[in-house]
Amino acid sequence: MPGYYDMDDILMEDEPISVVFQVGAHGCGLLDPGSETIDIEKGMKMDLPYWLAHQLHLRQAVSISVPASFSQKTRKEIQADAACVDLKGRCPYFYELGCKIAPLVGDKTIGSFLLYAFTDRYKEMLSKSHGAPAVTRFSSRLTKEESQLFEAARSSMAAFKKWRTGGSRLEKAAILGRKRKRTVPLGPSSP
Amino acid sequence: MYGRSASQLLKEQASCESGQLTVFNNEAFDRVIKECDEHHLQLESLFRKLMEQNLDVRTTTNGEHLGAFIHHHSLLRNKRCLMAYMQNRAEIVRSLRWQLGPVLPEEIKAKMSYSEEVYFVDHSNAIESYMSEMDVDLTADMVPPKSPSVQVKVLDDIGDVCLGDHSISLTKDSLHSLRRTDAEPFISQVSYHPFGAMRDDAAFRLTLLFVLFLGSNGRTFGLMPEKTIDG
Repeated sequence: MPGYYDMDDILMEDEPISVVFQVGAHGCGLLDPGSETIDIEKGMKMDLPYWLAHQLHLRQAVSISVPASFSQKTRKEIQADAACVDLKGRCPYFYELGCKIAPLVGDKTIGSFLLYAFTDRYKEMLSKSHGAPAVTRFSSRLTKEESQLFEAARSSMAAFKKWRTGGSRLEKAAILGRKRKRTVPLGPSSP
Repeated sequence: MYGRSASQLLKEQASCESGQLTVFNNEAFDRVIKECDEHHLQLESLFRKLMEQNLDVRTTTNGEHLGAFIHHHSLLRNKRCLMAYMQNRAEIVRSLRWQLGPVLPEEIKAKMSYSEEVYFVDHSNAIESYMSEMDVDLTADMVPPKSPSVQVKVLDDIGDVCLGDHSISLTKDSLHSLRRTDAEPFISQVSYHPFGAMRDDAAFRLTLLFVLFLGSNGRTFGLMPEKTIDG
């Protein structure tokens, strides 16, 4: 269960879901910037962030349709070659959102679809993470969760190598690290 | 769209590398607070309408009620975003004390809001009073050293420094045998020079601190170059 302060959870809940209002709502026209009245009519279609769509769905005020990231088209692409699909572009929180949305839309196939996509991509991810360092084209296709795994694999490999060769224990604080490279050229220079 | 500015605020913090601080976004923060006030006003007026119709707020499910419901959840959402923003930054601010010691460099201070600076000083004082009470330095390296002193090669002029009971002159390329605890701050927080006041200003401003850390067998096991110090 993600915590109240979990930034990834909060940002995941910001993903848009398209909903249809089953009842009207008054005094919240700002939700839809193009709307002229401040009321929402019954039957209105709208893209709402997940946090609101979920709450409204619990009250049976809206009906939710399956987001485009889980459409038949995406499923076909995943089946063809999962590792090549740019999931980040579709939805950076693909798996988390999928887990949350599945019970709401009552689509039982989403679960197995997510599992298939993850296991298939995981293999590729793991082998690439130990390989060449320049993997930006591949890593830019990864969702948030996948790229965390990817980084974890890379950093533990780096830590292992450092341990084996006996790296330094004392290091400069990381927070000062990057700035220096921009302001001062490396190597000793006279005052 | 409700809750948009709040999540943008968070995205800004989330997009930078973990453990790094972004500039405190006062403007966006205030905008979210203003949005909250707006929601509150709308909520009140919707409640008033419900009261006028003599309906029970808890049981009715008409348009006004749903509108109020949406405003209520937008408020909660904004609150959660703001809280998470502060909480995540506070975590980084606390970690700064362990990484950089009690005095922060200006470039990091500039990124913090006033209350965060106060928080940092308070947190730092709390740690220090605990350490002096227990008489143990918690910021020292967790792995016990093989010997209490280390060989240090000074990579650039630092000048006279006071280490414990004696003073030592750290000039370029000189080799010293220092106590490990004395050498550690030069390596981990080199951008801040604690003994800077002892040097003459013009030279000090341009001084680059380079401390090279030598192992007992002479093998280099750490190189920590550092940047210009502004006197």
